[in-house]
Amino acid sequence: MPSSTVTRVSVLLIAFGVLSSLGIAQPQEKAATASKPVPPVQEKSLPGKTDTTPSDYAGAEACKTCHADIYNGWEKSPHWKQTYKEGGLAKHGCEDCHGPAASHAADPSDTSKLFLFEKASAKEIDNRCLSCHAGGTQHMNAINSEHARNEVSCVSCHSPHHGKESDFLLVKSQPELCYSCHLAQKAQFDMPFHHRVNEGLIQCSDCHNPHGTVKPKQVRTSSTQDAICFKCHTDKQGPFVFEHAPVKVDGCQSCHLTHGGPNPHMLKLSNVNLLCLQCHTTSSFSSAPGAPSFHNQASLFQSCVLCHSQIHGSNFDATLFK
Amino acid sequence: MKDRPGIHVIPFAIIVAAALLSPAARAQGDPSELKGIDSGDYNVHQSIEFGYRSSNINGNLNTYDTFENLGSGLRLFDYTLNMRSIDHNGFLFDNLSFSNFGYGGDPNNVTRLRVEKNKWYDFRLLFRRDKNFWDYNLYANPLNPAALNPVGSTTTGCIVSPPSVLTATPPGVPGLPAYCSSPAVPQNNSLHALDLVRRMQDYDLTLMPLSKIQFRLGYSRNRDQGPGSFTTDGGTISDFNEAYSYTTNAYRAGVDFKVLPRTTISYDQFLSYFKQDNVVSDNPAASPGNFGFVLANTSGLGTPNNTPVDLGNIWSTQTHAEALPCAAPIATGTTNTANPTCNGFLSYSQVGRPRNFMPTERLRFQSNYFKNFEMSGSFGYSSSDNVIPDFLETVNGYTARTGERGSTTGGPANAKRVSVNANWSGAYAVTDKLRILDEFRYDNWRIPGMWALDETNIFGTGYAGLAGLQQSEAVFNTANCPAPYSAVTCPQHAATSAADEINGLASTFLGQNLKSNTLELQYDFNRRVSAHIGYLYTNRTIAQFSDTNDSELIYFPGGTGSARGNCATGTVTAVDCTLNADGSMTYTAPAAASPVRSLTTINENALLLGAVVRPIDALRITGDLEFGYSDNSYTRIDPRQVQSYKVHANYKPRPWAILDGAVEIHENRDNVTTVNNLEHDRSYSFGALLMANQRLSVDFGYNYWDVYTQSEICFNYSVTYAYPNPAPPPPTLTGIAFTSPPGVATTACPIPGASVGAPPTATPPGTGLGALSTYSSTDHFAHAAVMWKPMKRVTAMVGYGGSFVRGNTIYLNPLTPSGSLDFNYQRPYASLAIELYRNLTYKMSWNYYGFSQTGNTNPFGLAGIQSPDFNGSNATFSFLYAF
Repeated sequence: MPSSTVTRVSVLLIAFGVLSSLGIAQPQEKAATASKPVPPVQEKSLPGKTDTTPSDYAGAEACKTCHADIYNGWEKSPHWKQTYKEGGLAKHGCEDCHGPAASHAADPSDTSKLFLFEKASAKEIDNRCLSCHAGGTQHMNAINSEHARNEVSCVSCHSPHHGKESDFLLVKSQPELCYSCHLAQKAQFDMPFHHRVNEGLIQCSDCHNPHGTVKPKQVRTSSTQDAICFKCHTDKQGPFVFEHAPVKVDGCQSCHLTHGGPNPHMLKLSNVNLLCLQCHTTSSFSSAPGAPSFHNQASLFQSCVLCHSQIHGSNFDATLFK
Repeated sequence: MKDRPGIHVIPFAIIVAAALLSPAARAQGDPSELKGIDSGDYNVHQSIEFGYRSSNINGNLNTYDTFENLGSGLRLFDYTLNMRSIDHNGFLFDNLSFSNFGYGGDPNNVTRLRVEKNKWYDFRLLFRRDKNFWDYNLYANPLNPAALNPVGSTTTGCIVSPPSVLTATPPGVPGLPAYCSSPAVPQNNSLHALDLVRRMQDYDLTLMPLSKIQFRLGYSRNRDQGPGSFTTDGGTISDFNEAYSYTTNAYRAGVDFKVLPRTTISYDQFLSYFKQDNVVSDNPAASPGNFGFVLANTSGLGTPNNTPVDLGNIWSTQTHAEALPCAAPIATGTTNTANPTCNGFLSYSQVGRPRNFMPTERLRFQSNYFKNFEMSGSFGYSSSDNVIPDFLETVNGYTARTGERGSTTGGPANAKRVSVNANWSGAYAVTDKLRILDEFRYDNWRIPGMWALDETNIFGTGYAGLAGLQQSEAVFNTANCPAPYSAVTCPQHAATSAADEINGLASTFLGQNLKSNTLELQYDFNRRVSAHIGYLYTNRTIAQFSDTNDSELIYFPGGTGSARGNCATGTVTAVDCTLNADGSMTYTAPAAASPVRSLTTINENALLLGAVVRPIDALRITGDLEFGYSDNSYTRIDPRQVQSYKVHANYKPRPWAILDGAVEIHENRDNVTTVNNLEHDRSYSFGALLMANQRLSVDFGYNYWDVYTQSEICFNYSVTYAYPNPAPPPPTLTGIAFTSPPGVATTACPIPGASVGAPPTATPPGTGLGALSTYSSTDHFAHAAVMWKPMKRVTAMVGYGGSFVRGNTIYLNPLTPSGSLDFNYQRPYASLAIELYRNLTYKMSWNYYGFSQTGNTNPFGLAGIQSPDFNGSNATFSFLYAF
């Protein structure tokens, strides 16, 4: 392992130790709060309802008496894990999400203290869900979510009670779930040349994080902080001695349609030579070299990639021959 | 050409009838409501669908396999297993989910496994195997010309013009350029065909997922291997065999700390190892199909008689510029004896073993700790070290234009990538309605590279009466080539021959420093209207240089001697060239000036607008607009002006009806002088889902996609009818030069500020043409599906998906088929599922595939390439057992 990496790992291990210490110190706070009533939800997620007391809660068993079907579905779902928190089922059942239900249990017509998802705004729903889910590996950048910005709330895609997919409680499986809004992308994935999303080999969420990323279009990055494309197309990643610079500077989408298209290899143009010449025309506004004078388009140069076969980058040839 | 068995109609009909008439068809319940079985502490659901697919495809099976690749045979269509601990306290796990599909020969196989014990661990496994067969024959095709005029033509020999033009006066003017080959060899396969299998494995384990400190461990493996093709520049181009072998092993470990309320800090360490062991080879044993010719040489000297020869895949023997593999490839009176002066290969090999180690560290945080303020961010550092210690390329062949008989190229190479990135986002809720969001992103990476080149150019011996490939590769040493270096075993150089040995050093650099900030205000006017407005500023600087020093050139004697090239008299000083004891001359390049690093700085400003409107509860309309301007561009097709309009409407007029409509318009422009790049990508979509009841649903939609690109390009184009054709040649044909592609409006090039092959100030300046390159494509895509349950135990579906693509572009080479510009791809389908007994369902499905290209599929003068079209159907018969 290179020495620079050893140094970096050492520094970060120290950071790890410091953070661990902070984590160890936390139980004191936990012990201090243990004797207090445990609010079922975060204050922030209950706007205007911060004055709840334990007596406001009825407990999940009470909910079950009327909502048995929903209770049974919830009881089999991942959300049941909430009951492992302090207070158990009595304090982390239905009311974890729906708010205090004692008054509703006493008078079923009284829903004033309940959080009803069907009547809540997208932001309220997101806040409610993120009170637990924020900070997870998938929700680190929820603040940047374009879905949230467009008021596509968590329950637009997830159904805690009626999820068709056991994984993530999705209301539909991918890609049909995504196609229900992203209509144009459905057409692109039905093109002859496409990424195998419809076939089930990859999913929309392999390349996009629907909960938000720092990149445009909520695109993920690879573990090496590079384009997510290189997760599968490992041979194109490099680094190469001779890079085809736009691949790294502008991304694969400089030449390719990322979902699917009519042209082979999902190229943006039907003719490879025209695609190359768009940039490889010497002019005042281009850093790319122009095609040399012996590249007579009337004769032998029907496809640039016949010779420039290592078009994504080469270690041995500046002209990307080998 | 592959063949697929057909569907046997009578047995198929009997099976269908038996299934429909069976008393068993009147049993059972809805599989989706299956309760599973309780076994011990677990509730278990399981399903398996197993059956047979019969594939009957006509036409080009290579295209079909490129697109679909679903063949005949027994298949495991689906298998799922779900186990759930009834009391949430299982022995080793509380929940287990296991699903699979595609096994038995389908191109896509996927297995997912999730095992979790609620408080203790969460383990996920994803295995994916995909077969990547790729042979769309119009891609990477040399477009070899035909030999004879079509039937009905009054002329023979090389093609000059379409018959309609030949009748014009003067004949052949204007017309298509002269292409011909003798013989004509159509290329029916892509020279970049692939048949790879990729296996991707991902394992992720989270320990103590509910605790304040949780640990994550992961491992991924990506293995891609199989045969493919490789082409490179040589005397001619041949499709060498390439045995692909890529492997990536990636390890990751991470920890999440929830040290403060509503705050998470994560640290991740990634270690990735990539190795490539591709081997490219071309020899009679590895590529027997390439070596269809032999070399005649009965002299007993030089290359042995009957040595197999690969004449390559470009057959254009009488083209005006450079005939390939040569003007007369096959010796007169023979069918497979190669002309020794043709461009060709006796063998080729290329081996290199890149090894890339990529460690990455990343620290992230997310916090809602402060009231009304949330933030998140990350910092990451990554480095890659790609080392290739042992690249070696060996060419044994003949290149007519250089007179070389072969070459070897090797030397160590090394490239690094260092990446530092960070981001921070914060959102402050000023009031319940007003929110301010700021996002900053920093991304800095650099890729320095180095290659120490060691190249040897090999020339032929000089045996009398032998030429080209017949001459064996000369080995220069004192035994073979003693002074005065006139032996026939000496390498035979011409005055223009390149150096025999080149020891160089290439140094490269590419990097980018990007800083971006977005400030946005989000405001909720009321519960039905919200809007946001933002400003994006991005600054990025791209730096690059490439410096190649031929630091040492060695010229062997033989033929015209070693005093040539850089060591020719008068071209260099005596200091630079040294005469060695063996007669060779060494040229040492003077120290080069430090390379100038090219810097491109781009400032981008963009206005972001958006709104969400809910006029009624059932209708939601969202709109996002972006207007951007950049003061520079890196490539000619990078936009300086960006306009983006996205509108989506979702309407649910009834609980059983969902209607969607969307418009997406992207307009990019880099319309400065000499570039004139305009692009648009516009799509208009409509979709509807109608679910009348549980027994009937209809889903249909339509999408119109319109893509357009234009930019000024410069290129070289010249055709001269120097060849006397047809015989006797009319005076008006001989020597006519065509200076532009048919149908393309051209200007002189250099256009202002542009040139081809030489800068505008060069002498002579570039001589190419300028033209506006245009490409347009429209796609009409329609889809529909109807699900009907005529009775409780019978489910029928019919559906359709079809893409109709039409396009236009300029053709620099008139032999180019329209190809992917114009085609129809239609895929109707139908299926029937009948529950035979409790938990057992019989399923039948039929899928039709019809791909047909329209437009100019067979241009005049092109040696006919097999059509990529195909059509046919697949029928599957399966049993689904589920409980």
